[in-house]
Amino acid sequence: GVRQALWLTKTKLVEGLPPSVLSIMDNPAHQLENQEERVKHAISHARFWNTREVAPNREYYCPVLFEDLLHLCRLMAMKYPALAKRMLARKYMIAATWERESILLQVRGQNGMLLNSMAPIPPVASKEEILATEEHVLETFYPIAPTIDLQEVNVYKELNDTGFRDGYPYSHPHTLFFLESANIRTNRFRPEQLRAKMLMFAFGNALAKAKVLYGNDPKVLEQPVVVQSVGTDGQQFQFMVFQLNTTDLVANEGIKNLVWIDSDQNLYEKAQCVPEVKKRVVTKPAGIYGFQPDTFKKFLALYLHGTV
Amino acid sequence: AAGVAPEDAKAPELRTAASEAAKTPDSVVETEPYLDMGELRSLVCDALLQESFYQNKKRPVLYRDQDHTPGPFLTQLVSTLAAYLSNRNPLLAASSLDLKPEVNYYWHHDEEVVVHGHRKGRVDPVRFQIDDHPHLQIRVPKQLPEIVQLESDLGDVPVIDHKPSKLPLFKRQYENKVFIGSKVADPCCYGHTQFHLLPDRLKRKRFIEVRLEDQIEVVYRANGIASLFAWTAAQAMYQGFWSEADVTRPFVSQAVVTDGKYFAFFCYQLNTLALTVETIKNNPRKNICWGTDSKPLYDVVEDGSVKGFNDEVLLMLVRFLLNRPKEL
Repeated sequence: GVRQALWLTKTKLVEGLPPSVLSIMDNPAHQLENQEERVKHAISHARFWNTREVAPNREYYCPVLFEDLLHLCRLMAMKYPALAKRMLARKYMIAATWERESILLQVRGQNGMLLNSMAPIPPVASKEEILATEEHVLETFYPIAPTIDLQEVNVYKELNDTGFRDGYPYSHPHTLFFLESANIRTNRFRPEQLRAKMLMFAFGNALAKAKVLYGNDPKVLEQPVVVQSVGTDGQQFQFMVFQLNTTDLVANEGIKNLVWIDSDQNLYEKAQCVPEVKKRVVTKPAGIYGFQPDTFKKFLALYLHGTV
Repeated sequence: AAGVAPEDAKAPELRTAASEAAKTPDSVVETEPYLDMGELRSLVCDALLQESFYQNKKRPVLYRDQDHTPGPFLTQLVSTLAAYLSNRNPLLAASSLDLKPEVNYYWHHDEEVVVHGHRKGRVDPVRFQIDDHPHLQIRVPKQLPEIVQLESDLGDVPVIDHKPSKLPLFKRQYENKVFIGSKVADPCCYGHTQFHLLPDRLKRKRFIEVRLEDQIEVVYRANGIASLFAWTAAQAMYQGFWSEADVTRPFVSQAVVTDGKYFAFFCYQLNTLALTVETIKNNPRKNICWGTDSKPLYDVVEDGSVKGFNDEVLLMLVRFLLNRPKEL
């Protein structure tokens, strides 16, 4: 789970979202007109109105909900034209390699969607916080080896590739999106594992970008690289902001990387497709129950982060 | 895209009682002031370059070239342009974007005599069903303005004598479905623009190899007419009109049909739904579709730059997206 990922990426965990994101969220200027209503429409569209069947299954509604929320975020470009300088890459391939205490680790493959932007996200943690991570001790799981459940492969190329060629104008990875849309529950990642996956891929993207910017030598970065991550299964959202402070990952001591995680945010409690009827009386009419506007505000804040 | 073979340009025209004019109507051609063409051009070029050049992708799957580059490019293009133009067009700001939605429409037209079976000899209306999968569509809460008057007559509809199942379009009819992309409860119940991507088997190269160049435009037109008729008619049906209760106001929608490089633009005005045998007798109204020929957006992408960019096509696309009712 997440603890293993923290050890593998030499990262310190901070609960909740960083203050810069929270301040964007609280600012009333960063909201769309009728925001709550439009988010409810988006949920209804995904959960009820999308297909001709009565209740579309998760493979339908998870991507549709995500696309609708992203469409709403993009409409904020009305107020902030710099938001137009973003490009979504759907099937991007990432490759990153690093060593942790003489174990060679790699993150590779096509997983999720990446939102790129022309300008990097400014570092979220102050210099004091970064230096304070030196004292933090990484949690070990003796006697379990940290590489448990990782796939052992013979890979002959130690590859570091951001997935895009040189000269790409939108060269800074901004946010990764992971959709757990499999219908069968066992094919979906549990929230803990989803967060670990988000962390590993955010780290991989940040590391590949750092190696492109600052070279392959392990060192502490002057300008930390920040990559965000959002994972959802259509109802619950996991938000994550990852800051890469150092590429010196072999030793266990020294400056660590930082990650802020806000987990298990429900956008709504239940979406009733058909009214529940008991003994010929409608007990629960169809609709969305337990709507939480804060979750979308966090989604929007993460989208706007770096531009406002 | 609706499955279309080259020879049947006329079949959709008869069955949908649509006549076609070869240009786009004036209401879409008003010039918009202060459009930053440079900005728009750079957005489009960026999208194109990302999909075709910068992103490392594996080789395209056999016969699925359209999913590799033109598909993602079109999605990227429309989403960025719609977001960029949303402050010009409040309708776009309230719109709903669907990716790969399903559009269905079912209707009756003309009559035939049942040939086999226990109902042999009886007269039945011919049933038509269109099941369409546009690549992308934009739905809006307010209707687009009418282009011409409801009762205008711009031409005649060609007549075909064969049964529709002889032409490879309406072969079998399985389920009667009517759907605009979302259910009736959705507030965005009017259509704005659809974007269609032509499948691989209808590539221009194939037509040129078989020496059927004159059929290339036919494919675009047939796709435009059929898809737009299905969409507008399904929208009308959602509002409560059907063949016995004909539409009291025209329904207008737009479509862009492309294969990734060549773009063709279509506007459709639905004036009548009354196509069954009884209702078509005294019905002078016709549905009208305006369309352009396909033009290339760019010549070639080489070494990280787009050569031969065509501003006209971009301007047309932007005007389409900025189309809105007069009061907005």
